[in-house]
This record gives sequence, C-alpha cells and structure tokens, in this order.
Amino acid sequence: MDSAAKLELKSVSKSFPAGTGGRLEVLKDVSLTLESGDVLRLAGSSGSGKTTFMNIVSALIQPDSGSVIFNGTDVTRLGESGKDLYRAGNVGYIFQTFNLLSPYSVIENVYAPLAFAGRLGSDYRSRAMAALGRVGMADFADKLPYHLSVGQRQRVAIARVIFAGQRLILADEPTASLDGHSSGLVREVLHELSRQGAILVFSSHDTTFDLFRTDMTFNLETGVIS
Amino acid sequence: MRIRYIFKAAAHSIKHRKSAFMISVFSISVSFLMLCAIGNISFGIAAATVNRSLAFPLVVGPVGSSDTSLVMSSVFNVDKPNGTLDYGIFEELSADKRVRAAFPVIRSDSYLGVPITGVNSAYINEISKGFSSLMQNVKADDIFGEGALHCAVIGSKIAARHELETGDEFFGSHGHVGDEDAHEHRGFAYRVCGILEPTNSVEDFSIFVDLRSAWAIHAHHHHEEEAEHGHEHEHEGEHEHEGEHEHEGEHEHEGEHEHEGKITAVLVKTVNPAATAALEREYSENGRTNAANVAKTVRQIVQYMNKAETAAGFFSYGTLVLVMLMIFVTILMSVNERKKEMALMRTLGIGRFPIAMMIVLESLFTAFCGVFAGSAAGHAALALLKPRIDVALGISLEPLFFTEVELNGIAVTAATALLISFAALVKIYRMNLTEEISRD
Repeated sequence: MDSAAKLELKSVSKSFPAGTGGRLEVLKDVSLTLESGDVLRLAGSSGSGKTTFMNIVSALIQPDSGSVIFNGTDVTRLGESGKDLYRAGNVGYIFQTFNLLSPYSVIENVYAPLAFAGRLGSDYRSRAMAALGRVGMADFADKLPYHLSVGQRQRVAIARVIFAGQRLILADEPTASLDGHSSGLVREVLHELSRQGAILVFSSHDTTFDLFRTDMTFNLETGVIS
Repeated sequence: MRIRYIFKAAAHSIKHRKSAFMISVFSISVSFLMLCAIGNISFGIAAATVNRSLAFPLVVGPVGSSDTSLVMSSVFNVDKPNGTLDYGIFEELSADKRVRAAFPVIRSDSYLGVPITGVNSAYINEISKGFSSLMQNVKADDIFGEGALHCAVIGSKIAARHELETGDEFFGSHGHVGDEDAHEHRGFAYRVCGILEPTNSVEDFSIFVDLRSAWAIHAHHHHEEEAEHGHEHEHEGEHEHEGEHEHEGEHEHEGEHEHEGKITAVLVKTVNPAATAALEREYSENGRTNAANVAKTVRQIVQYMNKAETAAGFFSYGTLVLVMLMIFVTILMSVNERKKEMALMRTLGIGRFPIAMMIVLESLFTAFCGVFAGSAAGHAALALLKPRIDVALGISLEPLFFTEVELNGIAVTAATALLISFAALVKIYRMNLTEEISRD
C-alpha cells in the first residue's frame, strides 16, 4: 500500500421502495470511521443491507442523505467519471461469484481496470504475474475465465486487488462458493492486505471468518456498531 | 495505452462472439458486393453511351426507323437496323455546309455473333486511336483504299476473344446477329488487315469492313442464290427454260440494284448544335429518311437506365439498411447479454466512455470488415467477369473504379453503424449497475 487511507461515513441513510407502497429503510443515519488496516465485518441476514452498504461505499449507488468521505474527498459529490476513477484507483470489490470479465484472459482481468483508467505502469505484466503468483494462479495467466473453477476465479479477483494496490477492499461473501483450500487462501490474502494497510470491509456467513481479526462489526439488522 | 487497450478490448469482445460477427460481416459484404456491381456496370454503360453521343451528334437512317433503334444500331452497333437508304443521302449530307463530316455505314452480316459493319476509311480514321497491328502494304490512313475489298479491321477485344491476328481470314454470315436463317458466305473471305488499339468503347467489340465489300458480298450472294434457283428449274423441264432465263436476268438486275448504293445509316458530325437541330428537322420531315439527335436519344436511354440504376441502387441500399438493422439488433442483444459484464466493468472503475468507445469500435469494425470484404469481393468479381461483361454489354468496365453508388454505400454503412452504437450507448448509460451486478 502506497499511503494511509481513511474512510468516513457521516449520517448515511438509504431506503428503497417497499412492495406495500411505503419505503424500506436499509441504512439509517450510519456514521463510522475506518483507517488503514482496519477490518469491518458486516453482519446480518440476507436482505439486511450489507450489499447496499458496500455499494454506497464504492459509490455505485447514492445514499439518500449523508456523505462518504475517502481520504478527504466526498465521493457522493463526484460525477460519474470521478466515481469511476475513485473505484479504479481505490476500491477493490470482490463478489461472491461473478468477478471476472469473460472475454479477457486471467492476466488481462488482473490489469484491465487500470489499463482502462490509463494507469498501467511500464512493468505491469510482471507485476500482474507476481499478483497471480501470490494466489497460486500464475500458471493460468493466459487462460480464459470459463476454464477456471469458481475458487480459481475468486483467487484471480483477489490478484486484481493485489495488483491495483487498492486501499479499500470490499468483499461480499468472498468464500461462499469456495472449497476449504481456496477459502483459506482468500482469507489469508485478505488478512495480509489488511496488515499492509488496506481498509477491509467484508460480509460473510462463513464461520471460519469468526477467527478473522476484526476491528469493528456492524450489525445491519440492529444498526449497532461494536 | 488507454486507447490501445480500448481497441484491444473491442477486439476481445469481437473474438468472443465470432459467429455473430461473421454473420454480420457476411451480410454487409453481400449487400456491398451488389452495390459495387450495380454502380460499376451502370457507370460503364453510361460512360460508353455518353462517349458515343459526343462522337456523332446526328444519325440519319431510313424512314420508319425509330430514333432509339437508329441510334442503337448505327452508333452502338447493337440492335438490328431497320431498312436501308440511298448512298446519295450520304453524298447530299457530305456536301452540306452545316456538316463537318459524314460517314456512311451499312450493317447486314455478322461473324460468330459479332456484327460486321461496312464503313469507309474516313470512319476508321475518325474512331481509331491507331492500330496495335497492321498488315504490311496497308495504309493506316486509307485502310480501305484500292485493292482492299477483302480487308477487315477488328477491335482489340474481338481479336483477343477470337484469337484473330493480322493476315487471318474469316467468313461472315449472311444476316444480322440473332437471325435464324443466317449462313456463311463461303465464297467471300475477309482478311484481317488491322487490329485497332483499345478505345474502351464499342469499337473494341466491332468488325469493320469496306463499305463496297458489303455491297459486293451481297451481289455475290444474290448470284449464288440465283444459280441455285436456276439449277432447280433445269430439273423441272426444258420448256420453261426460256421464260426462266428472262426472269433470271430481271432478278439479277433488281438484286444488284437492291444492294449497291444502299446503306443503313449516315453518321454526321455537324458544325454546331444549331446545325444538328436544323438537319434533324429537315431529314426527319423529308419523307425519305429519319434523323435522330444522338445526345437527345441517348439522354432518354440514360434516363431509363438511371431509373433502373436508381431502382437497383435503392434495392441495394434497402438491403444494406436491413442488414444494418439486423446488426443493430445483434449488437443490442449482445449489449443485453453483456449487461452484467458491463456492470462489472463499471464496478471495477472502468468508465462509461471506454465502454462506449468499445461498442462504437466494435460496430464500426464490423461495418468496415463488411464493406472491405464486400468491396474487395465485388471488385475482384468485376475484374474476373470483365471480359464477359464487356462483351455482353459492349462497354469497358473499370473494375477498380469506386462509383458514387459505392461511396454512398460506405457513408450509409458508417452512419448506420454510428447510429447503432449510439442506441447501444443509451442502453449502457441507463444501466442500473447494482441491479445488473446482483442479477443471477
């Protein structure tokens, strides 16, 4: 990680239209601050708002009110291209399953976001290979995603985060579809990235994550941050 | 680097949906091949037509022949002439001060489907760009001079097609091209005295002989017929001989009179357009002849051709637009299929602009490949079929020439491709990222 990171949520609220005609309040006046190396676990049952929280932090959706400030920049006030650059440069998003771009090879999936943002360095290929090596996927560099298992795809998604050196990692049920070995590897790498200074926000029903070091847990059902 | 990657991404995307790409390219190329052929052939016909109309502003033919038939048979050497007129008309026109030059022509025989036209040396001097091959002792500027009754001058394409060289002999067939009762004049051989340099016009596909030989051959033919006729009568009975002989003599006299001094048309170069108009009027109203203003007649023919070309062009443009609509649907479907992927790209920080550029590039590249393949195939096909088309239509195709129809086609394709891209972009810009990314 190049430098320190700080994420602040100030009175963030978000609601969605409910089937009954009213509105379902998912986040209500949430405020919290995370700094480099902090780990936040999002708890709660399905539909409680964990993904909504991550989407707001990654600037994919706008909160109804409040602000999300990353390293002093209020990302809720950025334009679309500003949000794109914010995500490309700072946010590593890891989903449960769908993580890779199917027309691109494994190594291209690793460096594509920075390539599109025009931020690839001169030695990008060797750095991408090193990132793939870190998750045991160097031998698959030129394969297409459909050649890989779900676990392998997840490892490539993590290699992408390693390569980009993103300082805010959002992992939404990252081990839900993985076997024990892959699951262990993902946890290990996430832990390492956190130790290197990345802010890690994750949600997981995987009990093995119970042993994971967490600085904070946000229960979205109760709204309690502990 | 960023632009390079956008290109690379578009290439990846095309590679990923090869079948759809190939079908799109094939469809565009077929439409383009048609455009290329229609444009080029129409242009060739129009060019040949206009060139001819500039060479001879007026043509005078027998009374009763239509303007179109007169122009087509005597200026373009296609279609059968409709009757004959006296050689005296040519002499009359030659003496007219409003006439810069007049050329008598006679069309009656053919050789292997090619019409043989009887002309004089002045006509050859007028239309030729020189000779690529000329027999010894033959004067280039007076090729049908003394002792040249059997001399034939042939166009470059005819020489190549029938492998004729100077000195070669051939026999003409009595009757016009397409006549069912045509038969060879075995007693009268033509010898190739000269082969014309290519003119890229109807001359390349023509055979010219001395006007006098056309008369002589028919007088000869008439004698042959009469001899046959007489022979048959010999078997019928001696008591009829006397009367028959009388009749033969009469007939011979009539036959010679019928052919000698007759021509099918006079091609006229006038001193100015006013002279053309005046002569046209005079020679149409004298009751002996009909005169056709070549430019006017050609304009009418070209107008008909233009209508046909426009109709064919519209058909091709229509096909092209339909094809582009099909591509539009294909690209929209592809965008729909790739919505989740595009949402993931956005989530990874890949902006709308590079994604949009990717779609535009895909669409333009598909269109370009179609245009290139269609155009290349079209021009290659024209080059390959040029000898046959040239002979069949009496034109000289320029297979590498890009016609207006084709250039319009490129513009239509590019515009439609851009339109398709923008429609796809609207879809991308209106995409709900979180909804797409969370979709199973």
